[in-house]
Amino acid sequence: MIVSYILLLSWTFLVLFPVYWLFVTAFKLPIDVNTGPKYLMYVDFQPSDHAWREMFVASGDLVTRPYKNTAIVGFISAVLALILGSGASYALSRFTFRPKPGLVLAFVVCAVLVILMVNLEVPWQVAVAAGLGIFVLVTLTIGRRLKGSMTNDDIAFWLISQRMLPPVAVLVPIYILFQNFGLLNTYTALIVTYTAVNLPLAIWFTRDYFKSIPIELEESAFIDGASRYQVLYKIVLPLSAPGLVATFLIVLIFAWNEYTLGLFLSGADTQTMPMLVVGQNATRGPQWWNISVLVLVMIAPVVVLSIVLERFIARGILIGAVKG
Amino acid sequence: MRKVTSVLLIVLLAAISLVSTGISYSQDKPFEGVNITVLTFDGPQIAEPLQRHAPEFQELTGAQVSVVTVPFADLYQIILTDQATGTYSYDAFVFAPQWMVDFANAGYLEDLTPYVEADADIQWDDIAPFFRNFSAMYNEKIYLIPLDGDFHMVYYRTDVLAEAGLEPPKTWDEYLVVAAALNGQDMNGDGEGDYGSCISKRRSAQAWQWFPSFASPFIQSLGTEQGAFFDTTTFEPLINNEGFVRALEIYKETGQYGPPDEETLDVGGTRTLFVAGRCALSLDWGDIGSLAVDPEQSIVQDKVGAVITPGSTEVIDRATGELVPCTPELCPYAVDGVNHAPVASFGGWSGGVSSGISQEKKDAAYAFFSYVAQPAQANVDVTIGKTGFNPYRISQFQDLTPWLAGGFSEKAANDYLGAIRDSLNNPNMVLDLRVPQNQRYQQVVTDPILSQFLAGEYTAEEAAQEISDQWEEITEEIGREDQLAAYIASLGIQK
Amino acid sequence: MEEPPSHLNDRSRYVLLLPAVLVVLFLSVFPLLLSIFTSLSKIRFVKGGFEIEYIGLKNYEKLLQGSGQRRFLGRFDDPTTFGWIILMVFIAVMIYWLFRYVTGPRRRLFGVLMRVITIIIAVELLWLVIRTSSGRGLPGTLVVTLIFVFGGVAAQYILGLFLALLVTQNLPGKRFFRVVFLLPMMITPVGIGFLFRMLTDTLIGPMAPMWKVAGLYNFSWVNDPATARLAVIIGDTWQWTPFVFIILLAALEGLPTETVEAALVDGANRQQMFRYILLPQIIPVSTTVILVRIIEAFKIIDMPNALTGGGPGIATESVTLHAYNLWRGIDLGTSSALAYCLLFVATFVALVFVNFIRQRLLESI
Repeated sequence: MIVSYILLLSWTFLVLFPVYWLFVTAFKLPIDVNTGPKYLMYVDFQPSDHAWREMFVASGDLVTRPYKNTAIVGFISAVLALILGSGASYALSRFTFRPKPGLVLAFVVCAVLVILMVNLEVPWQVAVAAGLGIFVLVTLTIGRRLKGSMTNDDIAFWLISQRMLPPVAVLVPIYILFQNFGLLNTYTALIVTYTAVNLPLAIWFTRDYFKSIPIELEESAFIDGASRYQVLYKIVLPLSAPGLVATFLIVLIFAWNEYTLGLFLSGADTQTMPMLVVGQNATRGPQWWNISVLVLVMIAPVVVLSIVLERFIARGILIGAVKG
Repeated sequence: MRKVTSVLLIVLLAAISLVSTGISYSQDKPFEGVNITVLTFDGPQIAEPLQRHAPEFQELTGAQVSVVTVPFADLYQIILTDQATGTYSYDAFVFAPQWMVDFANAGYLEDLTPYVEADADIQWDDIAPFFRNFSAMYNEKIYLIPLDGDFHMVYYRTDVLAEAGLEPPKTWDEYLVVAAALNGQDMNGDGEGDYGSCISKRRSAQAWQWFPSFASPFIQSLGTEQGAFFDTTTFEPLINNEGFVRALEIYKETGQYGPPDEETLDVGGTRTLFVAGRCALSLDWGDIGSLAVDPEQSIVQDKVGAVITPGSTEVIDRATGELVPCTPELCPYAVDGVNHAPVASFGGWSGGVSSGISQEKKDAAYAFFSYVAQPAQANVDVTIGKTGFNPYRISQFQDLTPWLAGGFSEKAANDYLGAIRDSLNNPNMVLDLRVPQNQRYQQVVTDPILSQFLAGEYTAEEAAQEISDQWEEITEEIGREDQLAAYIASLGIQK
Repeated sequence: MEEPPSHLNDRSRYVLLLPAVLVVLFLSVFPLLLSIFTSLSKIRFVKGGFEIEYIGLKNYEKLLQGSGQRRFLGRFDDPTTFGWIILMVFIAVMIYWLFRYVTGPRRRLFGVLMRVITIIIAVELLWLVIRTSSGRGLPGTLVVTLIFVFGGVAAQYILGLFLALLVTQNLPGKRFFRVVFLLPMMITPVGIGFLFRMLTDTLIGPMAPMWKVAGLYNFSWVNDPATARLAVIIGDTWQWTPFVFIILLAALEGLPTETVEAALVDGANRQQMFRYILLPQIIPVSTTVILVRIIEAFKIIDMPNALTGGGPGIATESVTLHAYNLWRGIDLGTSSALAYCLLFVATFVALVFVNFIRQRLLESI
């Protein structure tokens, strides 16, 4: 017991000290940072709000605008990733899919066709409709003859492998993609991108939680006449709430902090906070005080959210509720 | 009655004059309804003056200017992506002129020569010759409007050097002597030893920008047109020679008299050390000058002097690559036998206009840059530290008043401006490497090899050989003829 | 995989799965194809667009054999005796493993083929690591990345599991710890890079007095290749341990109370509880979290970039940072080729993990 506390407290110190350092740095004048370490406010240096004033007062909506953008993009994309992801992972953990490699190839060809059409000045709505049409046609005609051998695990691995390529390699293509759709500098571009980028994570994490739920519960519900969606909504999701909350927090944090893709897809109106943080390291070296202010401001809502959501991770609450 | 009449008359006159000014005002707003978007990096410096002047400009001309900022590290790629894909989200850019050649060669930048010729207000001839004739131009066309002047200088602690009876260094060898003599002395009164020389050598930061300041005095002596990076007839790199190797050795030796983590310090780090009173010497752009007078940051007010970057008494013989002593023929611009080659590193933030936008927008964007660059605005901006603008106009050296108002003492202002003037007037100033894909030569190849050399993974000869080989490979890949033509064009050599 | 009863295979499965697949496909097909093409080309920027010239495998050739080799793979030297021993032992183990499979009951030709390929690639990678780390050898960005991946992920998993187990005990104040431990993950990666640069600074960082006491006043630990890499791994671990922690914590908390109670009623002791109740609960999630961390760690860029800029020399330059530096020099072709080399290695490691290690672990419970 005492050992546990000592261990926990020492890790707490390791976690909190750097955050404390951010906090004091946010109130230091440049000279207090430059002339060696100063630890305590009012004791070895006088706090100054110069960085806060520079960020919030002197420069208008410099911080508030990207802050709003980060919140909008982060929350919407995290919710979308969680909804789409938990649906998909539930399907992957309860059904057997046998997609045919030939059909996957056909789909890829259709997608390329759509992009070609868009490049040839065909309106994108028409192009997408045409592409889908061709794909359905292929599926219905020759689809049945193709032999399939892919499994759920292949689909899952394919999904997670989407995260393997470093963003630098796909920056220009993704930029061109959204440029063709005329979506640069819109929330849509950022939300779609972050949702797609975070979906594999959401799917993989929720899949494990779903698998650990006893399947008997669901089967008895089916016997009682519940539909698939009712089972998902009333039994599976509540039972896996801790996992869903944890997953939501993670995808939210990923979207909240993403830099590279966001930088290229956003413009003046849609820039998010990480760009502002990176921007504090310009030709004059890192502006430590400004970086500290921005990082503190950035984590504040996430901290509050995790305090609120933490209770849902606590054991048993929801399980008890379902039983009651 | 007479009184009433006269009052009426005055009112009437006032009304007429109001109306007439009103009319003339709307006639004077040639860009009413035009919106332009200017892209630059996250400030506050550079972006601040642009944002501050935008409403004034709108008042005058009706054009609405919005300034968009992105992180410095990604500015180049964003401009390139925007232009290459024909997106044209941005109408004009304020960027490092070294990138100009990539943009101008690809046709992304508007040729501003006719605009400048038709514009008397910009007082083009007042801009220092180096910026006017080299920095702003490529292939005899003006593509950029200089908004800032940048080159390296050596800063020194006047009090510390005076106490030790040392003169500010004129050559790199003297620099080493001074640094060695002062290293370990207490310079800020805290009882601990401080450093003889602070030069940031961090990778992926400014190290590759400092290095030409070390090498150039050994390599370039016949004026800007001679070039300090490539031979102007064969386009062979001027690297595999004794001068470059000697510069590498000096570069490494300065580290012995510097802070222990020099290799992880960027220029922000050495600046803070310098203004915290911990360094006797430092190599920097113009920024230390204005930082040192800021009481929020500095404890060395009025203790800072600046000199032109150190030179050399030897230069390489370009035929053999060996170092030979300076002669009047070899070093026509030498002062007291010392060949200085100040490097206009970075070249000063400059404005360029996209070629892919409507004529109306081009006119407005040019007019905006012209407005910011005009002496009325620029000569005040350069004295304010937070603008990040350093002097680049001749008139900016003639009047000390704005400098004194900006917090400089008369001596500090004279010292600071003197060093800038010495460098700017030097006909042997070095122009940054401006060939297509220069970032590959310098940031991708040279930067890590310099760092590996400091880490002891290469000897000086090996490092020079490696850089030289890799430069040759890039040249072969891009095309030697094209690169040579671009290099010559950037140096303004008439064929 | 267990076959669910066929009556459960209703139409809803497509409604549930397809939206996610379509969204991912939308953003992956075109970029993937275009960047493959980019990696086989030389790109020039011209007015209103760019010219792409197909040059075959030249970009890859440059990285693997030409001038880029020294930076990407490293500088080679003959292995020391110790290096040879490690290599020999590794090969022996691999052959034994293959032998076990071939003589085992479940052998298939495809399986044998896959294992042979796996062994060849694994031995190649080890050979690369050994040759670049002995004598005058210098590790390139690939080896540095491998060090970051394995060092970082191992540290993060062990610490994360340990903390999760500690916190699930019914200690007063555990809710406080749960929130506090998540903090590092919430900070934007670049911000953490800057933060650690402040913390590691030997002159003005908070630990400066400690360095002085230790007599390290004129020494900077981020200047030495080994300690600089350690600094990056420490920063990365500080940042990502919470990630492992929260996932494992949720798995442990998701354990149905009645299962635990039933086990206690049956008189299970601590070890049995761990082996039969806890372990089966955390192994599937553990393998997932390790896989995800491996994949993410291969893309490590912000920490070395902000902390050391990749220096000293190229000691802390990861492949992603290398690719980013190339892309900043608008060498798009080589940059993409590098990214695909990384993709190859990452996919290899991930596949080995999923097919051999994860499978084995899941079967063991």
